[in-house]
Amino acid sequence: MSSGRKCKNCGGSDIEVDPARGDAVCTACGSVLEDSIIVAEIQFEEGAHGTSSAIGQFVSSDSKGGATKFGASFHVGDSVESREITLKKAKHGISILCSQLKLNQHCTDTACSFFKMALSRNLTRGRRNTHVHAACVYLTCRIEGTAHLLIDISDVLQICCYELGRTYLRLSQALCINIPAVDPCLYILRFAAKLQFGSKTQQVANTALRLVQRMKRDSIHTGRRPSGLCGAALLMAARLHEFNRSPTDIIKIVKVHESTLRRRLIEFGDTPSSALTLEEFMTVDLEEEQDPPSFKVARKKDKERLQKLFEEEADNFTNLQKQIEQQLENKKTFEPIKRSKSNKEDEETNIFIRESTLGAIQEIMEEATDEPEEPVVEVGPDISSLGLPNSLDDTSNAYVPAPEIDLDMNFDDVDDAEIDAYIMSEHECENKKVLWHKRNEAYLAEQKLKAQKLQKEREEGKPDKKKKKTAKKKAIGPLNSAGEAIEKILQEKKVSTKINYDVLKSLNVVPAQPEVVAVSEEDSVKTSESIKRRRLSSMSNYREQGPEKGVKRKPKSSAGLPVFDDNSNKNAIKDPSKESIKIQKKDDLVGMSDEEEEYYDEEPAGEETTNEIGVLQMLRQHRENEEDADEYNYGYFEDTDY
Amino acid sequence: MEPKQQTDVHLKAMLNNPLKAPPAVPIPDWNSPSTSQVPMIKPNKSLMTVTIPGSAVGEPLTNVTLHNCVSTVDLQMTLDLQTINARTRNSEYNPSRFHGVVMRLREPRTTALIFRSGKIVCTGAKNEHDGLLASKKYARIIQKLGYNIKFCNFKIQNLVATCDLRFPIKLENLNMMHGQFSSYEPELFPALIYRMIKPRLVILVFVNGKLVFTGAKCREDIKEALNNIYPILRSFRKN
Repeated sequence: MSSGRKCKNCGGSDIEVDPARGDAVCTACGSVLEDSIIVAEIQFEEGAHGTSSAIGQFVSSDSKGGATKFGASFHVGDSVESREITLKKAKHGISILCSQLKLNQHCTDTACSFFKMALSRNLTRGRRNTHVHAACVYLTCRIEGTAHLLIDISDVLQICCYELGRTYLRLSQALCINIPAVDPCLYILRFAAKLQFGSKTQQVANTALRLVQRMKRDSIHTGRRPSGLCGAALLMAARLHEFNRSPTDIIKIVKVHESTLRRRLIEFGDTPSSALTLEEFMTVDLEEEQDPPSFKVARKKDKERLQKLFEEEADNFTNLQKQIEQQLENKKTFEPIKRSKSNKEDEETNIFIRESTLGAIQEIMEEATDEPEEPVVEVGPDISSLGLPNSLDDTSNAYVPAPEIDLDMNFDDVDDAEIDAYIMSEHECENKKVLWHKRNEAYLAEQKLKAQKLQKEREEGKPDKKKKKTAKKKAIGPLNSAGEAIEKILQEKKVSTKINYDVLKSLNVVPAQPEVVAVSEEDSVKTSESIKRRRLSSMSNYREQGPEKGVKRKPKSSAGLPVFDDNSNKNAIKDPSKESIKIQKKDDLVGMSDEEEEYYDEEPAGEETTNEIGVLQMLRQHRENEEDADEYNYGYFEDTDY
Repeated sequence: MEPKQQTDVHLKAMLNNPLKAPPAVPIPDWNSPSTSQVPMIKPNKSLMTVTIPGSAVGEPLTNVTLHNCVSTVDLQMTLDLQTINARTRNSEYNPSRFHGVVMRLREPRTTALIFRSGKIVCTGAKNEHDGLLASKKYARIIQKLGYNIKFCNFKIQNLVATCDLRFPIKLENLNMMHGQFSSYEPELFPALIYRMIKPRLVILVFVNGKLVFTGAKCREDIKEALNNIYPILRSFRKN
């Protein structure tokens, strides 16, 4: 296979080129000279009139390849893939929507790229185009912080706001875009502009902005629509600046109901800030922050309930009190005080008991005050909350079919008299039947007609309508562990011809000698070659960075690569057979699942900047918790699409 | 897995000899179902001192209240819905709208959907035991109408519970930190929706500290979920 080239490392000329894998390897030293070779040379062809042209065609970076020429030539000559058509359509739809919403070109582009991401992850399937387009645009709006509400978009497109909301949530969840909650301040200016304040618009908006900020501090905004909040603030601000805007004017613009607006106003009225005059309000910032209104209401209700309870119980208590007092009185009268002076011992023991009790109480009180302060840090999700299995053999997540409970027909606890009361007599039954038939006449007639038609067709000898057989994927039943699942998948479809499956099987039989890795490599030259190569490169990576950084990098490097840092080596020695199996399997898994790899490529770069705790951080957290835990397994992480 | 198996054992025991079974629940370790709404209604002095409103001292586990229980059972025989509807006074059947008989019971106050295949879905029960009792009653009614039925595959499908933690929660920050699991869109719904993976259920977190659990298959799920979420919510406490 050598083509007269020499290895750069060792100078050997025995170079193996594997066109299927697309790489060139020196067989002497094992170094990869070239990878992902597609076509190395260009060929030209000569046309009829002596013109020459390069053979081949343009392939765009997002095209999936495959039948671009042959399939397309059956169509009207344009060699575009259906995916490209979809993208073009989406671009068109999105740009129309954006222009209606008065968004700039940048936003259009962002929305388009969101759509592309959604398309590549098959999120557009089963959803209407308009919904997906709108969701992409709204995602962009939220990220760019433009003053658009969900309802504006659904207004423009005449679609259901909640349906759109669902699509949007699904998209943002699936694409791992964490979007901060809406800030009601964004919408103030927009609404203010519509209220015809003339030259004072800015001033009114500023006051309204301050009002909203105050409301936010008093947490009126959580769980409330931003439009209602803005409406209340604008109404107040308008009145403060001597404009006679009525609630009806505001409602028309912010599109909430009057009662909602009034409620926001009342809620603000309950905060201490509302007692300030305009000047005070503009200058003074009250330090105190209020509880959310709904919380206050809940506590008030609690109090009322307790009050009621006390009132009800009051009589009981007074009665009890009277009885006790009477008893005490009786005791006093019956037992005149007789003091035994000699009982000094008793007295001393009493003193002792009292003192020790007091001491104990004191101790407990001190302990109670020493109670650990509440954690100031806001707790993020930890690794266990992901609910991932710990290893390939972890079966804790497996579906456990509920044990069948067969109940003997024992209705002893069922009251027959009660049951009989539900069953009607013959006469009543007749009546109900007649009534029912009367009411459902139309339905019954329809059913009859249908039956007749079917009968007729059958008599005429028409073949029964064959139900379309939907080619259902053979469902892989719930398996106990990831390991089993992988095995099953491997059985079902031989994903790659480059894998020696027999070796995989032999790996499951746990051999005794510790150096299974080496053995397996010898066995399966095909597989191990690639592994070896990858291992070489990964090893060099990790060695340089030291153990700590190595861990940090792990989730970033493509999942499940055989990483041989010191820690894992230890593990490998501990339980070599198991580990090696895992390595192999993981490697296969990753190598095969192209989709997942795509997913990593397309992960938005912005994601890392958000506040959300990344998998990375969680990993680190977890590692602190469980130093000695087998961190090897978490290379696995990215395989799971949570 | 262990506690679940335990429940199953309990449930099985309860189902097999319903007479002997204690007044209700598989595991009555927390929240006896008889307590209505809030525990403080009980005229018990010790309880009253603990649950003074505003003081967040009350153990959160004590005031979880079950509100709905959906269960299914299979009678394993084809039913004639028209006659069932005609012969019972507590049923309605409108085949042009819905392909099942809707039957209601007064005690326990539940609604059942009875299908031609003999499958019954019972909703509205306040707890698992009520769900079972109601299902049995529905089965008994059908049996009395002359069907030779079995009572198979009784299963609790969904439990809905509420809980009041008595402290306000910063939903925005919670959403920021737990974006993988939560979604908070005040434009769509006032609560933060937290989709817990293990146990697999959904928690609605309201700003006033009230929680709604839904999608649980058994009580342990709810208990475990609360145990998981409590420290998190505690750390996002407002003020």
